[in-house]
Amino acid sequence: MTQPQQPHHEPTRLSVPALVLAWLLPGAGHVFLGQVRRGVFVAVGVLGLFFSGLFVGGIDVVDSGLVVSNTFRKVTGQTANRQVTPDGDAIWFVGQAFTGPVAFVVDVVHQHRFKVIDPAEPRVLRSARPDEGRDPVTGMAVIGGKPPVTKSLARVNEIGTLFCTLAGLLNLIAMIDAGWNHRPRRGEPGYAGGAT
Amino acid sequence: MIPDLVPSLLAWRPFIDPLDAHGTWYLLLLPLVFFISMVWKAVRLPSLENYWRQVLLMTAQGIVGMVALALTSYLLVQVYVRIASGG
Repeated sequence: MTQPQQPHHEPTRLSVPALVLAWLLPGAGHVFLGQVRRGVFVAVGVLGLFFSGLFVGGIDVVDSGLVVSNTFRKVTGQTANRQVTPDGDAIWFVGQAFTGPVAFVVDVVHQHRFKVIDPAEPRVLRSARPDEGRDPVTGMAVIGGKPPVTKSLARVNEIGTLFCTLAGLLNLIAMIDAGWNHRPRRGEPGYAGGAT
Repeated sequence: MIPDLVPSLLAWRPFIDPLDAHGTWYLLLLPLVFFISMVWKAVRLPSLENYWRQVLLMTAQGIVGMVALALTSYLLVQVYVRIASGG
């Protein structure tokens, strides 16, 4: 009796550079392994989703509520050591963080350029109210003027946040695929070129 | 109508201010499903020969699935609950 032929599986190996590159720039981990087409598709999908989310919901959808004190001091000239941002969406930012440094850059810009310091409580950094503007030098909320950013609300906010968070979670899957990859790599038998 | 739109469009800054899509938000589910399919198929397919066909198929499946879920929810709330409550 003949035994049925077992399917051949390449062993899965960890590639730390591919894992790190996949976080730094979506798709770069696959490109590093020689799977160029796959990497380009991942990059277009993840970054397309992330920037579509920003386009729909505005910068308000990426809001960790975390403030880098040194950057805060440099930008605003305020000397407070710790800031509190009561209106952040930290739980959503956990997913968005997997998109890579781009999510952190957008978040830092949001916290330091588009939020205002509460005049009544200088430790509090928050979104400006509709009747408030932002002093460009101190970052303080000032009555009158226009808010530095329009707050996104309702469905538009929900869908924008969903786009950006799913971009991060999909990149997490792509990072795992690049880090523990079983497909033949550049220079190995069975490698079919950058088209894989 | 167009003159009414001009001031709001001039004030709108892409990627900073939110898009005024409150009346058409459900159309945004199309690019959502498309981009998800792009990444998922790029990671899961052993070969990328039929990549775009697979992406379009998964996009269509996702849209049909969401429409079916929406219809089911509608029927559950508007019909079943009304019948079950004796109304």
